[in-house]
Amino acid sequence: MTHWDGAEHEPRTAAGHEVFAADDEVGRDLATVDWSLTPLGPPAGWPQSLQTAVSILLSSRFSMWMAWGPELTFFCNAAYRRDTLGRKYPWALGRPASEVWAEIWDDIGPRIDTVLATAKATWDEALLLFLERSGYPEETYHTFSYSPLRDDAGAVVGMLCVVSEDTERVVGERRMATLRDLGSDPSVVRTEQEMLAFACRQLGRNPHDLPFTLTYLFDDGGGARLAGATGISAGHPAAPASLAPGDPDGAWPAAALARGESVLVPLEGAPFADLPSGEWPDPPAQALVVPLLQQGSAPYGFLVAALNRYRPLDDGYRGFVELAAGHVAAGIASARSYQAQQRRAEELAELDRAKTVFFSNISHEFRTPLTLIMGPVEELRGRLQDADVEVREELEAIRRNGLRLGKLVNTLLDFSRLEAGRMQARYEPVDLAAVTAELASLFRSAIDKAGLEFHVDCPPLDERVYIDRGMWEKVVLNLLSNALKFTFEGSIGVAVRREGAHAVVTVTDTGVGIPAEEVPRLFERFHRIENARSRSNEGSGIGLALVQELVALHGGTIAADSADGEGTRFTIRLPFGSAHLPAEAITTAAGSGAASATAAPYVQEALRWLPADTAADPAEDAMEMPSHGALAGPAAPARVLVADDNADMREYLVRLLKGAGYQVATASDGRQALDAIRADVPDLVVSDVMMPRLDGLSLVGALRADPRTAAVPVLLLSARAGQEASIEGLQAGADDYLVKPFAAAELLARVRANMEMARLRHHQARWRTALVDSLQEAFFVCDENGAVVDINSGFTDILGYGPENLPYLPVHPWWPDAEIDPEAHQQAADAFTGLLGDGQGSYTIPLAHRDGHRLWVSATVNRAQDPDTGRRVVVGTFRDVTAEHYAIQRESALASLSTCLSQAASLPEALAGALRELRDLWRARSVVAAVFGHGAEPTLTATDPALDWRRLPAERRETLTGLRQRPLLTPVADPTGVGVLLEHPDGPLALFVDLGDHRPFTGEDQLLLSLLASHLAQGLARAHQIDQQRETAIALQRAILGPSRLPDGFAVRYEPATRPLEVGGDWYDTITLPGGRIGIVVGDCVGRGVQAAAVMGQLRSACRALLLQDESPARTLMALDQFAAGVPGAVCTTVFCGVLDPDTGHLTYSSAGHPPGILTHPDGTTHLLEDGRSVPLAVRRTRPRPEGETTIPARATLMLYTDGLVERRRRPLDVGIGLASRAVQDGRDVAVNDLAAQVMTRLAPADGFDDDVALLLYRHPAPLEVTFPAESSQLAPVRKALRTWLAQCDLPAQMIQNILVAAGEACANAIEHGHRHSPGETVRLRAEAFVDVLRLTVADTGRWKSPQPEANPHRGRGVALMRALMQQVTITPSPYGTTVDMHTRIAR
Amino acid sequence: MSTPLTVTPGQGPDGAPLLTVAGEIDMSNTAALADAIGGTAGPLVLDLTAVEYLDSAGLNVLFAHADHITLIANPLLESLLTISGLAELATVHYREPGASMAG
Repeated sequence: MTHWDGAEHEPRTAAGHEVFAADDEVGRDLATVDWSLTPLGPPAGWPQSLQTAVSILLSSRFSMWMAWGPELTFFCNAAYRRDTLGRKYPWALGRPASEVWAEIWDDIGPRIDTVLATAKATWDEALLLFLERSGYPEETYHTFSYSPLRDDAGAVVGMLCVVSEDTERVVGERRMATLRDLGSDPSVVRTEQEMLAFACRQLGRNPHDLPFTLTYLFDDGGGARLAGATGISAGHPAAPASLAPGDPDGAWPAAALARGESVLVPLEGAPFADLPSGEWPDPPAQALVVPLLQQGSAPYGFLVAALNRYRPLDDGYRGFVELAAGHVAAGIASARSYQAQQRRAEELAELDRAKTVFFSNISHEFRTPLTLIMGPVEELRGRLQDADVEVREELEAIRRNGLRLGKLVNTLLDFSRLEAGRMQARYEPVDLAAVTAELASLFRSAIDKAGLEFHVDCPPLDERVYIDRGMWEKVVLNLLSNALKFTFEGSIGVAVRREGAHAVVTVTDTGVGIPAEEVPRLFERFHRIENARSRSNEGSGIGLALVQELVALHGGTIAADSADGEGTRFTIRLPFGSAHLPAEAITTAAGSGAASATAAPYVQEALRWLPADTAADPAEDAMEMPSHGALAGPAAPARVLVADDNADMREYLVRLLKGAGYQVATASDGRQALDAIRADVPDLVVSDVMMPRLDGLSLVGALRADPRTAAVPVLLLSARAGQEASIEGLQAGADDYLVKPFAAAELLARVRANMEMARLRHHQARWRTALVDSLQEAFFVCDENGAVVDINSGFTDILGYGPENLPYLPVHPWWPDAEIDPEAHQQAADAFTGLLGDGQGSYTIPLAHRDGHRLWVSATVNRAQDPDTGRRVVVGTFRDVTAEHYAIQRESALASLSTCLSQAASLPEALAGALRELRDLWRARSVVAAVFGHGAEPTLTATDPALDWRRLPAERRETLTGLRQRPLLTPVADPTGVGVLLEHPDGPLALFVDLGDHRPFTGEDQLLLSLLASHLAQGLARAHQIDQQRETAIALQRAILGPSRLPDGFAVRYEPATRPLEVGGDWYDTITLPGGRIGIVVGDCVGRGVQAAAVMGQLRSACRALLLQDESPARTLMALDQFAAGVPGAVCTTVFCGVLDPDTGHLTYSSAGHPPGILTHPDGTTHLLEDGRSVPLAVRRTRPRPEGETTIPARATLMLYTDGLVERRRRPLDVGIGLASRAVQDGRDVAVNDLAAQVMTRLAPADGFDDDVALLLYRHPAPLEVTFPAESSQLAPVRKALRTWLAQCDLPAQMIQNILVAAGEACANAIEHGHRHSPGETVRLRAEAFVDVLRLTVADTGRWKSPQPEANPHRGRGVALMRALMQQVTITPSPYGTTVDMHTRIAR
Repeated sequence: MSTPLTVTPGQGPDGAPLLTVAGEIDMSNTAALADAIGGTAGPLVLDLTAVEYLDSAGLNVLFAHADHITLIANPLLESLLTISGLAELATVHYREPGASMAG
């Protein structure tokens, strides 16, 4: 037993073995070596130089070994044994160094030879050595210096090696670099293939940790295909291009990986012969195969990472492989999501292009010039009836083409209406067979002329079908026109029949047919079949698309069968009954049967395709169609309304007028007539005077009172003869008056005359009306009370309100409902008030369509004067900007959500911010999000931060839980709000927007919510990924940051910046120097992120090495200046470097531009370490750096820090330093490690540090810790050590005496009682000085035989003494030992 | 095996038996002290001014002979001797170490 108590040597060891006394254990083992077998001989005969060298070696706490003599006999100390020698201890002691380090002798032998030959020291930094200290050759890195040892005569006879192991740092930095490179993909978007190529390049750059890798991706069939490989050729048996599903003999266990398990695969057997070895001499022996995990789904694939056989597979290595796989998986996720987005974007763009083409075609600009062409043409045709044939033919050509253009524009307008949901259908029950047959008959002449057979097979159906006549006409006419266009011989057929619950209409032809590949696109808008033989190349490609839309509006379907060259069959199926149609659009009244107006352009166009000789005068042919009669003249027949209560009279008048070519409508009383006229103003009204409900005179009065109908010519018929009656009628405003009975010719003459008169009289007014109606925009006129008195057809199209209910008094029915949406109502009201107020301006306001859906219109108004009445009116237009409005709303909502997501520093913050955005967007009462993760109950995030899952109302919890059954991103509305399900990295996320009661959530809103939810899901995934990367980086930084073991008396803290949460370049370090002094370094590299962390790692290592070489802080910093100049990013680093003598508290230091250290004295005063200051690293290199010195008084605290601790915006630095000093003063009675925590907490801003912070505290003297065997002989040396330490604490002599006695009593107790039966167990004494308090602890590990020490009178006196001498004594016995804890206050 | 302690017998100025003790007294060496005191009969002067440390084990020995010893001690030990009650049983003189006994 050799102790530092010199009084106790055994005789055997006394002779010469003092040389080994400096270390207990290694010394003991050195002493047992039989030195006589070595060239050095017994220690007693060793030269003084050898003895000194061995003694220095053993007393150093820094890792060292030495070799001496001809065989270079090996010695080492405890630190070297622990860090490097491993299992070779104690075998190695006294052996030749070349034997001890046989495996690396090739590396180190020449170095040692050089030292011995030249007497110059060597220096190697981070040299790779394969040590066999753990039973296998292990990759290790060492920084070491060999220096010569001389014998008493001054000859070099040995060498001393000072070594520090860098393995953790080198390997850690290497792995960190790979992870950093993997995560630093410079391109924003990539395909999966590019991403994998990038990842493989990065993995391939680390052949040390990843001798080879294989990336496999699962395919749909459960197999896996090789998607990437590094370090191994693709043809190698270990790298099969694909792995069959469920193949137990496959090279890699794909099935386990598909379940998400990691597998460690021994690389033995057939496929693994001749494996590449990466950067190493031997190929890898194991591979770690880890899944490429996908959130919420089966893994994408797996990564095979061959393992470096020279490093153990510890947590760090495993974590590295998993993180690398995580990066690859994240890359795949983002590439796939990008690809999907790209596809969606292309689809949308396609749709958009179609729309753009479409909308650009239907600008109302089309209709206005058309109106202005067709009007004059009609007039010219009338005027030039006698002109020569050529002029007339040209005029006809103009007219025909005008009609064609009109038809095209009308078709486009139909689409526009369909798109905007403004197609106003009026479904009436009809005999579909009859209606269809009649339409077909319109085409008969054209088909006959083409020389084709026409089969119309339309037997009456036994049930009525609800159709909108106008739409149905377009369906049939388009199909017939199409058939005629593509059929050159054979036949065309139309058939109607019943099939179950459907009426089936077929249109067949024997034409050119459609190639099979074109059939699927037949109904696509603007799609034309190229190169098909046809009668005409004209065509917009929208006819069949329109047909399909129109059939769909009827709840029906249309299909096409065709074979190339054999003709085409279109089959339409319409359901019977009206259950499938909107109730409000159904009417039971049979409407007008006149289809000719719609049909004319189709038929005329078709006739133009036929050869000229078979269609000599198409116009004449068209006019021969039944309802047109024989009237030659205006193309659009004049329309007459006949109002008479006598049915016979009515029929007579109709017959008469129809015979003359007029289009006639009827009404059976004045009221009915008035409604009909208001709905559709005729060219002339023929009315009886005597009628029920409203007589003829009142009708005239009502018509004249309404500006829209004031100009309609009215011919009154009366049985009452006489001048007065006639005058009465004319006074009421009638244009003419005819007394029954009257001659047919006279009536027709009067009608014609009045019509002509009216035409002339109102020529201009009609043009104006035509122009107004041709506007696509809604046009309206308001009187001075705000009543809307006139509107155009565009108004009806946009808002659904027709002229029949004019005037519309305020509050107008299209204002949003004040109950349901008060805000929108107010907007409309405000705009209306403004409209009446200044009478001009422009507003964008929300309005309600008659069917309830929300519109946004841009309203423009102007004041005007009615030229007839002189009254002031307001005219205005509404332009439908709904689509633009929602597009802008979507854009801005997405933009603000993106901003919010990108600013969030963490996943929870991103979610909370997004919820606030959603709440603001819809002005919702609240927004909640429940994540159904792994926990027992969902994690709730809400705009109300106080809310949690349990406090949520039960119904809401149910709603949220129910959402999980819904498809993703599909909003589900209920009366209180709307919910949607999306993906959160931790599991499904159910989100609910509480809109309050009865707030409308429109289809547009739902679309927007769905878009935002998808955006949010992506944002959250991204935030999650960033979180993970950041955690990785921080973990790695902590790993390379500071020493894991701090010298006593020190405490350190490192905290990364909170916003954005990022690693940085701050560091602290302590280095125990040979001789017991301690190097202290605190530094701060410029910049943030992994880059700064990497620079920090290099500077830290360099500074460590430099301090070990030269214990002068100034010279260390000067050498570091040189080093930093060569490291990109290291310039301008600030460093505090000090060397402390822990025994005396003496500190020398130098500061490279670093904030001053703060020394807090026991009396509370502070002192800044402001000497030894100079510029930051590598800024200027010429001048020597100064050095400061100070002595840290007993119980004073030294604080070193980086500027993040004290620097705040808009606050002088000394304020921060003052606060930091105060925090240290207030922690005077706190252990130094707890004090470090207190300082960090107190100085942290409310929302966390915005820069990273390193903090280092030292309180002098360091606590004393002595462990000794429970033997009475130990009392004196322990007392000596304690006495020395107490002297460092600067205490009064009496107090020292008291403490010594109290401690002595406690130790004696532990020896006497604690170990009476098992001497040699250890006792631990710890003494720690706070500023005002001194604390002593004596603990033993033995069992107290006597549970009550006081029972022994002798020892009872001892305990009494302890209590008397110290202010507080606590004795805590336990089965595992007894602890005596004593405090005493230190008088100031 | 024990803490360094020297006990030198002699005679005081008044001719009374005197034991001059130097070093530290703890449980490892009280036996030597007890033997030395036990070997002397009658009144005895114990000069402890060169004793830098004394604990309860040492006190126990002194208590056993309290009725016939006079102590000369370093003032640093005063509080210990007072607290333990020994000062009440035995006569104690305090003297700084190094001061002449004769003085």
